[in-house]
Amino acid sequence: MPKVTVDGIEIEVPAGSTVLQACEAAGKEIPRFCYHERLSIAGNCRMCLVEVAPGPPKPQASCALPAMEGQTIRTDSPMVKAAREGVMEFLLINHPLDCPICDQGGECDLQDQSVAYGRGSSRYDENKRAVTEKYMGPIVKTVMTRCIQCTRCVRFAEEVAGVEEIGAIYRGENMQITSYLERAVTSELSGNVVDLCPVGALTSKPYAFEARPWELTKTPGIDVMDAMGTNVRFDSRGRQLLRIVPRINEDVNEEWAHDKTRHAVDGLTARRLDRPFVRKNGKLEAASWEDAFKAVAAAAKKAGGSVTAVAGDMVDCETMFAARELVTALGGSMLEGRQTGLAYDTSSLSAVNFNTGIANIEKADVILLVGSDLRREAPLVNARVLKAIRKRGAKVFAIGPETDLTYKVENLGASLKTLTKLPKAVADAFKNAARPAIIVGGGALRYEGAHGAALALAEKYKLVRELEDGSTWNGFNVLHFAASRMGGLMLGYAFAGGIRALAVEKPKLGFFLGADEVNYDLFADTFKVYVGHHGDAGAHAADVILPAAAYTEKAGTYVNLEGRVQRGERAVFPPGDAREDWAIFRALSDVVGKKLPFDNLEQLRTKMAAAVPALGVEGLADYGWVVPKLDAKPEGDVADYPIKDFYLTNAICRASATMQRCSAELVHGETFAEAAE
Amino acid sequence: MTDRPCRLLPFDGLGGYRGFMGILAKIFTWWNGATIGTSLYSLRKGRQVGEDSTGNRYFEAKDKSGRRWVIYNGPNDASRVPPEWHGWLHHTHDLLPHELPAARNWEAEYSPNATGTADAYRPAGALERGGKRAAATGDYEAWSPN
Amino acid sequence: MEVSTSPLSDKDRIFTNLYGFQPWNLDAARKRGDWDNTKKLLEAGPDAIIDTIKNSGLRGRGGAGFPTGMKWSFMPKEPKPGRPNFLVINADESEPGSCKDREIIRHDPHKLIEGALVAGFAMRARAAYIYIRGEFIYEAKVLFAAVEEAYAAGLLGKNAAGSGYDFDVFVHRGAGAYICGEETAMLESLEGKKGQPRLKPPFPAGAGLYGCPTTVNNVESIAVGPTILRRGADWFKSFGRENNVGTKLFQISGHVNTPCVVEESMGISFKELIEKHAGGIRGGWDNLLAVIPGGSSVPMVPAAQIMDAPMDFDGLKALGSGLGTAAVIVMDKSTDIVRAISRLSYFYKHESCGQCTPCREGTGWMWRMMERLRTGDAEISEIDMLQQVTKQVEGHTICALGDAAAWPIQGLIRHFRPEIERRINEAHGAAHQEAAE
Repeated sequence: MPKVTVDGIEIEVPAGSTVLQACEAAGKEIPRFCYHERLSIAGNCRMCLVEVAPGPPKPQASCALPAMEGQTIRTDSPMVKAAREGVMEFLLINHPLDCPICDQGGECDLQDQSVAYGRGSSRYDENKRAVTEKYMGPIVKTVMTRCIQCTRCVRFAEEVAGVEEIGAIYRGENMQITSYLERAVTSELSGNVVDLCPVGALTSKPYAFEARPWELTKTPGIDVMDAMGTNVRFDSRGRQLLRIVPRINEDVNEEWAHDKTRHAVDGLTARRLDRPFVRKNGKLEAASWEDAFKAVAAAAKKAGGSVTAVAGDMVDCETMFAARELVTALGGSMLEGRQTGLAYDTSSLSAVNFNTGIANIEKADVILLVGSDLRREAPLVNARVLKAIRKRGAKVFAIGPETDLTYKVENLGASLKTLTKLPKAVADAFKNAARPAIIVGGGALRYEGAHGAALALAEKYKLVRELEDGSTWNGFNVLHFAASRMGGLMLGYAFAGGIRALAVEKPKLGFFLGADEVNYDLFADTFKVYVGHHGDAGAHAADVILPAAAYTEKAGTYVNLEGRVQRGERAVFPPGDAREDWAIFRALSDVVGKKLPFDNLEQLRTKMAAAVPALGVEGLADYGWVVPKLDAKPEGDVADYPIKDFYLTNAICRASATMQRCSAELVHGETFAEAAE
Repeated sequence: MTDRPCRLLPFDGLGGYRGFMGILAKIFTWWNGATIGTSLYSLRKGRQVGEDSTGNRYFEAKDKSGRRWVIYNGPNDASRVPPEWHGWLHHTHDLLPHELPAARNWEAEYSPNATGTADAYRPAGALERGGKRAAATGDYEAWSPN
Repeated sequence: MEVSTSPLSDKDRIFTNLYGFQPWNLDAARKRGDWDNTKKLLEAGPDAIIDTIKNSGLRGRGGAGFPTGMKWSFMPKEPKPGRPNFLVINADESEPGSCKDREIIRHDPHKLIEGALVAGFAMRARAAYIYIRGEFIYEAKVLFAAVEEAYAAGLLGKNAAGSGYDFDVFVHRGAGAYICGEETAMLESLEGKKGQPRLKPPFPAGAGLYGCPTTVNNVESIAVGPTILRRGADWFKSFGRENNVGTKLFQISGHVNTPCVVEESMGISFKELIEKHAGGIRGGWDNLLAVIPGGSSVPMVPAAQIMDAPMDFDGLKALGSGLGTAAVIVMDKSTDIVRAISRLSYFYKHESCGQCTPCREGTGWMWRMMERLRTGDAEISEIDMLQQVTKQVEGHTICALGDAAAWPIQGLIRHFRPEIERRINEAHGAAHQEAAE
């Protein structure tokens, strides 16, 4: 633990710290552009210069200098001030003065730091440099004249996203940042470079010229585009949600969010269900809430207890709980959330959980992916695995069809039988590993025996073990990719045999909670009540549509793939006559004469916590470690992965013009010429 | 051109306003046309080179200075100079409108800045347009089953 | 200033085929004494070789003048498995004015290759990479052929020169970037990346080429190695002054009667060097304006100060300049000195890698301002501003290119400020006159 003195304050910093970190620990702000906590050190902006003794009699780049015992660091000396002013002046001489028309205005590092550390005026009289715009895909808008060549985007693409598609060309003052051959950056995480860019060179294309940061209302929320539970901030103005940006949560998403999280926003203003509909003579017609409720009540009377609820991928726990209470009150008990027909055993939640944890998976040294296309199913988990490879040299094996995960994977073929007998090299790797992990994805869970075989493998190689430091390591993981999955399983949304078995029971009345991936042909005889927010497959098949709130329009509890209970808040109101889901069930319960025992969200949450205590506490739910006895003899090959099109996985994405364009360009390879060309 | 509320007085050319009230108006409403001083100056030192469709008249100095100016037919609003005269007036070029290339068929009819007049743009829901807004503000696109 | 002025006699020259009077090939090189029982040189052992080089007082010939033997001794004595030591030889000679490495490779490549083996053996390197400037097409051809010859004669490769030591030499051609002459940028370029200097620390001796311990040396420093070992440290030390010993290739260009590359002992006085080898200054000594004694990156020295100065590291440092690569650029009074420096500024603007801010933005600014000073289209106060800008660049960058870009301008302002002011006043006067007409 070296001891250093920063501006007369003596502090002790952890070994391996840099001078910049030491200064921050001492409470001194060090201006910086290229330095970023989560990226490698470039040291090229030269903004973080400080005076360090002992050392050469010139200012040192604090971001790259290791803190050493006995250093005396000055951040307030005339030399440092002059150095900062000098660098700031250099940065500004070729930076355009277009702040009034720049989207970064108001959240621009360069603006802030030039106010704080720059000179009052420029002495530069010559012409300024201009740089042509580069095409980086449908998400990132570029105004490269504003670029200050900090290379954060380059490092992000290489180190976090794993795609080496952004780089610098030319040299000296002609240096330009560009994507490879000016083609779209094929990363699910490309939107993050917009946040990383300290200036307005990379801005969000869909969000261009929409709003200024200071006019936005900021609401903390939870993303539902996948099962990560990415912590996000909803930025809204008036009634409209304008953008979604990630919040920092080291345990979940660090500070990243994938493109679907960020840019499916425009899907929230398209194809919205804003009034109830009732099917009359085979046609859906707009109706009042009253009429719609009456139609449901009539069906409920006829159903006589044959009632089911099917949860979609994006619903919150409150909705599922309210629906469950209503179904129970009506005498039903059939609940299911696995829309596409998965039927794995759920007797032990720990056997279907991502037990290692999102943050811990980056500590793994050997990882076996079983039927999991990690990059599409959970891009941020994929980024963690990449980190494990880059930082710890982790080895990754995969069973399943070949797919590009952005890093080197040793593919063991698609046969699930490999699970029962690993090749020697893999077996040895597992035997010698300190922190081995297995990730079972939806591609494998479909097959009978795969789940059991994976659990058997976990037993055989002791994936659950005590580590040297006394902590427990659980290397058995199941990767879900629906935000509602773990919450649904905790609330009992699992029918033995899955949704096909449920359909065989021919329920008379069914509540479909934003369920758009269900094969509705199975439910031909069911009176289908669709409670959701988008006009998609579910709405088309429904007999009654009750318009509900999207995830930005209601406060909700979500459980992510590692069993982390998180709460999001409401940013805006649902459009038109749409109402929050739980309130719809509460009102409906009145009409059918089975009044539910809660009148507001707080009461509902109290009841939910009473029913499932883990949902009442934010943080990781404890499922213990119970291994169910399962069939462990898988047959056949993993045919394909469940997510065919990353950008169009749910109703919100499908309604989003941005996501449609991403899909067309990045998945289906269509080329889009820039409008100007 | 539409009739504009601020166009208060009839104007009959360089001779000024008719009658006694006309002269009074000429003295006190400096925002219409030229003041007496400018009119006299234009007569003495200027040479009228043309007149546009709205009756604004354009002058060039007789001496070497090459000054160009306009006397408005009505309120002194610089946006009333149409583009074909604008270029000449500001010495962008020396071509008079009839010497310029013919207008393209896609060029719209020129209209002066309407801000402050009844023709000014009012967004939907503005008080001047009745102040009525849709219940749902139309900031989302509703789904329809058909 | 006391200067030792015993001129180098022919028997003491290391580079005996500098002018290409004999062929460069292995046979001819052997006749000149290269590869003469190299095995015996190596038998002394790595530590003895490093000690001899240390004792000889050889300082790096690439410009910085860091003691070569000390540099070699920083390398790990026992390379870890999977992490071999590497020697990288810097033949990316792009400094304006410098042309010594070109001559060595062109006419005496085997001196370099033998030196590579000896130096590589001394620092326990697995291989040497010779990074040759992209524009040196003929030289690269020669070097490729010479390495080929050496391999064929068993002097390189497995059991190199019968020493029992395995050593490879790879020749890598650059792509024409000045910055790749900076040692870490060279490593980046060798690895196939964009040639941009790395942050230090870690220094190459800790983590260099492919993350392995690496020493980067100039061609001349490596090429003199075997001869020093053969003739002894004391012989080498007998030339020059304390701390500035040995012989050195001087490259004299500019307004002298016979520009040349010549090997001389360090510390020879400027006047003697020019008189003896370059045929004197064009138009006589009174016509001398200024000298850039070490290649474009060092500040210039005006005529009066350079005349009797000893041409070595410390002697020129005392004049506020430096020996650099000993590329002596002589300028007589016909030189448009502002334009000359402006051209150098353009060079640095053109060659800045663009990685770090002060150099990327500052070099362009400095060049544009120099261009205006050249024509006088400026204000007097802008001279001070330019001086400040050079100070803002100097010492704020990752590598030394920023310093190199700043120094010539600082030298100009220091010594020729009246000339710049005269131009500005003249231009203003002309402008006033025009206005008055």
